[in-house]
Amino acid sequence: MRTCVPPLVSSSPGTSARPPDAGHTVGATWTEAPCPVLVVDRHGGLVDVNGAARILLPGAVSGDWLHEHVPSWLCDAHRRITDGPRPADAAPLSGPIRERHFEAHPTAAGDGGVVWWLVDDTDRRLAEAALTDAQTRTEILSHVSSTLLSTLNVPRCMEVTASMAAEHLADAAVLVGPAKGWRQSLTYAVRGGPVSQVVQMVDVSGVPGLTEALQGFPPVPARWINPDDIPDWVTPDGFAGPVGSVIVAPLPGHGVPAGALILLRSSTEQSFSEGEEVFARLFAARAGAALSAARLYSEQATVTATLMRELLPPALTSVHGVEYAGGYRAAKDHERVGGDFYDVHPGSDPSQDTLVVLGDVAGKGLDAAVLTGKIRNTLHALLPLTDDHQRVLDLLNGALLSSRHARFVTLVLASVRRRGSRAQLRLTSAGHLPPLIVRADGTVEDVPSHGTLVGALPAVTAHTVRTVLGPGETCLLYTDGITEARGGPLGDEFFGEQRLRRALAECAGLPAEAVVERVQMLAAQWLGAGRHDDMAAVAISVPRSGPLTVLNGRAGVSNRRST
Amino acid sequence: MTNLHPTEFTVTVYRTAGTLTVRVAGELDYDTSDGLTDMVTRHLTAEAGLSDLRLDFRGLTWIDSTGLTALLTLHRRAAAVGATLHLDHRPDVLERMLRLTNVLEHLTAPASRAGTPDRQEGDATGTSVH
Repeated sequence: MRTCVPPLVSSSPGTSARPPDAGHTVGATWTEAPCPVLVVDRHGGLVDVNGAARILLPGAVSGDWLHEHVPSWLCDAHRRITDGPRPADAAPLSGPIRERHFEAHPTAAGDGGVVWWLVDDTDRRLAEAALTDAQTRTEILSHVSSTLLSTLNVPRCMEVTASMAAEHLADAAVLVGPAKGWRQSLTYAVRGGPVSQVVQMVDVSGVPGLTEALQGFPPVPARWINPDDIPDWVTPDGFAGPVGSVIVAPLPGHGVPAGALILLRSSTEQSFSEGEEVFARLFAARAGAALSAARLYSEQATVTATLMRELLPPALTSVHGVEYAGGYRAAKDHERVGGDFYDVHPGSDPSQDTLVVLGDVAGKGLDAAVLTGKIRNTLHALLPLTDDHQRVLDLLNGALLSSRHARFVTLVLASVRRRGSRAQLRLTSAGHLPPLIVRADGTVEDVPSHGTLVGALPAVTAHTVRTVLGPGETCLLYTDGITEARGGPLGDEFFGEQRLRRALAECAGLPAEAVVERVQMLAAQWLGAGRHDDMAAVAISVPRSGPLTVLNGRAGVSNRRST
Repeated sequence: MTNLHPTEFTVTVYRTAGTLTVRVAGELDYDTSDGLTDMVTRHLTAEAGLSDLRLDFRGLTWIDSTGLTALLTLHRRAAAVGATLHLDHRPDVLERMLRLTNVLEHLTAPASRAGTPDRQEGDATGTSVH
């Protein structure tokens, strides 16, 4: 370590404001300063350098020229400063020196010379850059998540993923979806360009690592591949120039792979750095989670829709001269099935009974709907036995009994047969609300049938009632969701049987469809926005008039009236 | 909040020698039935040596079909440990439902002291409810 007195102080006492003895103190200090210090005269000659500076600039000794050892930015700065005083508010000078980055702080020396204090800020700059990068990436990732999670539509998710990848990660991106049979769904995005989606047969094994990435097992990291190895189908239309670098990143889903992302950069761009590869993996993880959520959702929606089709109530029409109409509203308005059900099984010819079933399974929603499916199927199989309602109920009860739960169903069976201008009905209620009959004069009658609920007790009993409907008369089967609709002016009152009866009294002579419509409308109005149970109603009506000449159920032709 | 829950559903269990008394108050429906079944089932063990399960419905304001399912389930569980179910202080709404569905007699029939569930309550594999 040099210990000589620094020349700037000792040789120019006249220009220094500091007393000479102070110079000695400073001199001893600056030579040992941890940062490189260069003393440069006004012509650009090195007067002296300290120990740190000699490590930075090996070979620099007093008497050399400054420009022989430091980059031009510092030489230029030196020239400017010796030409005139530097403004006090000037930003610090900085620039690279031998792979490091320095801030240069000048202080005046004697004879117009300058002492350059070089402060190494390489690490700080790296840290700042890393922080900015991290902040940008976090912003991008949260943007990716929020954009992707706002949709459960698979094609839209793929479009957004490809487009954002092209925007933030590469010049172009290709999202390869899981195979659909032999075909692959491909989503292409070029930065600043449109996104296109195609489904086509491509050879995924042509892209190294893509097959593994699409299988999702064994887990593969994102990997660089040689741009020369990629087949033509990978390069999107509108991609500028030859491909410079490529990454294949798997999109991890929830147990099932959601596809893979191929990122492309043109040869004129910088190739992917390690940090960018890590970021691509994070991006792929988020996109994969969103995509597989969307895919699972759409699969479930398809399954539900398929099941639903089987469970939906049927559309009813006229059968053998008797009108049937049904209406159903599930407890949860967004669901279309629930615990109430109805069916009309037409007799094979007009002389045969048509069986009407309306029932209510304890519980709500899909759980209940599945049980209604079982009951409807069982009853369908029991159709040949419907001459005896009790027997049908016995068999149904046996089929439904389970030790696992005490789920039960209450239902009404109605066997209907047209005789002349009238219809004969056999009605059996198994633990269900008895049907109501609206006579032509507006009288509303109870059908005094009663019986045991089905499916929970070892044995059931039921009492069948026979009655006759004249022209313009209607028999209404309904579930308690209607009478127990809570609402009204105070919001917590039941619609109730009395209101239903009054409504029905006004329906004398109306077609079946109008009766159901009216009852449903009144119940819905009563409810307002209130919570409700499943509501179902079926009306059986004998048309008031028409060219009906059915006699003893033989002339079935004439019931084409309504078609 | 109180408008959404006009009546709070509560189950209170009292135990005396040989008898489990359960007071049910509020609405026994889709949302509350499991609570009753679970609570009572916890006390219905063979070791408890119960001969009677008394459900006291003095405070019951409403029951729906899921509530009735709960009663049918409790009847099975009580029968399985040889206890007779009693439905005390039945309000109109419960009385009406029991009459309509024709299950009162079944629910309150004296349990056989053997402590076995009804024969027909075993399923196809022959297992029984516990």
